[in-house]
Amino acid sequence: MFELTLQAVFSGLLSGAFYALIALGLALVFGTMKVINLAHGELILLAAYVAYTLESVAGWSPLASLPVALVVVGICAAGVYFLISRIKRDRELNSLILTFGLAIIITNGILMIWSADVRSTGGDWAHGAFVLGDSLFAMNAELLAAGVSVVLVVLLYLWLNHSWYGRAIRAVSSSSEAAKLMGVNPRQLELLSFIIAGVLATFAGVALYSAQTIAPELGHNLTITAFIITVLAGMGSISEVLVGGLLIGVIEALTVTYFSSSLRELSGFVLFLAVLLVLPSGLSGLKMKTRKAGPTGVSPGSSEKPARQKQLQHD
Amino acid sequence: MTNSKMNNRILVAAVLITTYVLVPLLFGGNSYLLGVVVSAFTIAGIAVAWALLGNLGGMISFGHAAFFGIGAYTSSLLAMRFGVSPLLGLLLGGLGAVVASLAMLPVLRLRGPYFALAILAYAEIFRILAVELKSITGGAGGLLSIPGLPTVAGFDLNTKLGGYFTIVTIVAVSVLVYYLIRRSTYGLALRAMHDSENATRVLGVPATRLKALMLIVSAFITGVVGAFNAHFINFLEPNYAFAGTWTILPIVAAIFGGYRTLTGPVAGALVIYLMDQLLFKSLIPQGHQLILGGLLVAMILFAPDGLVGVLLRKVKGGGDHATT
Repeated sequence: MFELTLQAVFSGLLSGAFYALIALGLALVFGTMKVINLAHGELILLAAYVAYTLESVAGWSPLASLPVALVVVGICAAGVYFLISRIKRDRELNSLILTFGLAIIITNGILMIWSADVRSTGGDWAHGAFVLGDSLFAMNAELLAAGVSVVLVVLLYLWLNHSWYGRAIRAVSSSSEAAKLMGVNPRQLELLSFIIAGVLATFAGVALYSAQTIAPELGHNLTITAFIITVLAGMGSISEVLVGGLLIGVIEALTVTYFSSSLRELSGFVLFLAVLLVLPSGLSGLKMKTRKAGPTGVSPGSSEKPARQKQLQHD
Repeated sequence: MTNSKMNNRILVAAVLITTYVLVPLLFGGNSYLLGVVVSAFTIAGIAVAWALLGNLGGMISFGHAAFFGIGAYTSSLLAMRFGVSPLLGLLLGGLGAVVASLAMLPVLRLRGPYFALAILAYAEIFRILAVELKSITGGAGGLLSIPGLPTVAGFDLNTKLGGYFTIVTIVAVSVLVYYLIRRSTYGLALRAMHDSENATRVLGVPATRLKALMLIVSAFITGVVGAFNAHFINFLEPNYAFAGTWTILPIVAAIFGGYRTLTGPVAGALVIYLMDQLLFKSLIPQGHQLILGGLLVAMILFAPDGLVGVLLRKVKGGGDHATT
């Protein structure tokens, strides 16, 4: 039983790191714009299908298809932003419905172009076994996806904290009015964060295609996973996204090992609701609580609106 | 004022006569078409419930499939295991959905997107439970030969036409309930809450309790519609009863028709569903919902008040809170 548990934790950590990659783009956009992009999972899936097409038509390996997928998904992500930026009022809720509509469009578009069949990569290396200390098993692709994910989380974290653009994005997320006064163009930065979300979605999509099977209705599940982890991490906190992903991954793997694989999804949802109700500002809120660092930011549970929104309403 | 009231009464009478007399007379013979119309009204019922929660409660829900599925399962199981009359079962299905909504009350304190997606999580949990609790629900195999609606006063409701009259009545009563709530002091408080929740709290409006009430009413209506659908098609399985379609179509319908109006969701559902089934499906056999997604995007960007909202503004020349 101990070995089984160890294997479950190992697999859980690997899939959890990949979950973090799925959530990263969503968390970034949410942190910058307070907009939940419900089409995020569909963008990931689109990248996976681009990789599939290039492999089946031109024989490219999934990794080689990254540049093409980056262009396709980057353009789509910019398109999503363009549409969101044209919402006239009540952006927080209307963007939810708008991106919900975009998700329906992409899912059905994929269904039309690639049909409902399940696809997976034919590459031998990706499905090859990786053995750690002759008792822990993983697929090569899983390991690669997890590694890429950790690297991207670190890069994004460094970029947000140490580059001018990163600081500007954080400034826009805390007050776009004040950022404007400091010579930052919020629209430009919102677009930038959407494009970066698209880049992250592309990596996630190509990794997804290398490691798993893909089908048109998968996008919806990806979005939900991404949102669960974003909530778990707390608003706009990038490093906690990795922790949140790992947590979900391990809990799901343990549920499968000890109970049943059909309860895997359930464990994620239950954790999600528990966090929403007990710890509305997520893992980052937990950190603040233990530090006793004064008043926290606007938690999702509170109903107060930032002053900037009120101002916009009076315009 | 009295003139417009008079006009409204004439309009209501005209709509009622059309749905109860003209439509059955025209389409009563075409059982395929009547079936599609019944499905359209089924969507309309959920759309009204969704819009009630969205407009009065200020909450966007992505989980109405949960209420629909629970209403369907409650009524079907009561009828199959305990021989409860399906007509009574409709109400009990609604009550089942209300019980489920009570489990959701803690998420009411969440705002905006958090609420919307927490409810989605609930819907997924209920679907998984319906699959897993095989001893009660029959699991993924589903329930077969669910009893149909009974004969009332010599009129057999277990026909396409009987089903039509039943669902039309359910939708009409739902719209009436919506209208009465909106007209009441509760409705006024809820509308004030939409402008500023904190201000209304300060004035002593029990905001959370009112929102809870809206969630319960919305769940009840959706549960009744779900129960009706189960007795109408006589078959149920988890992936059908809790399908995302029961959430997607009502949202598109309500947004398309105008979710801040009374009749918008119904009109939207009829237009959207009939177009989807009779037109889009033949144009694009696979992936026809693509057009629905496109409509949703277009409406949010260009006409967030919906079709009925736009028409009303043209007629009346302004006014935020349309009354029809």
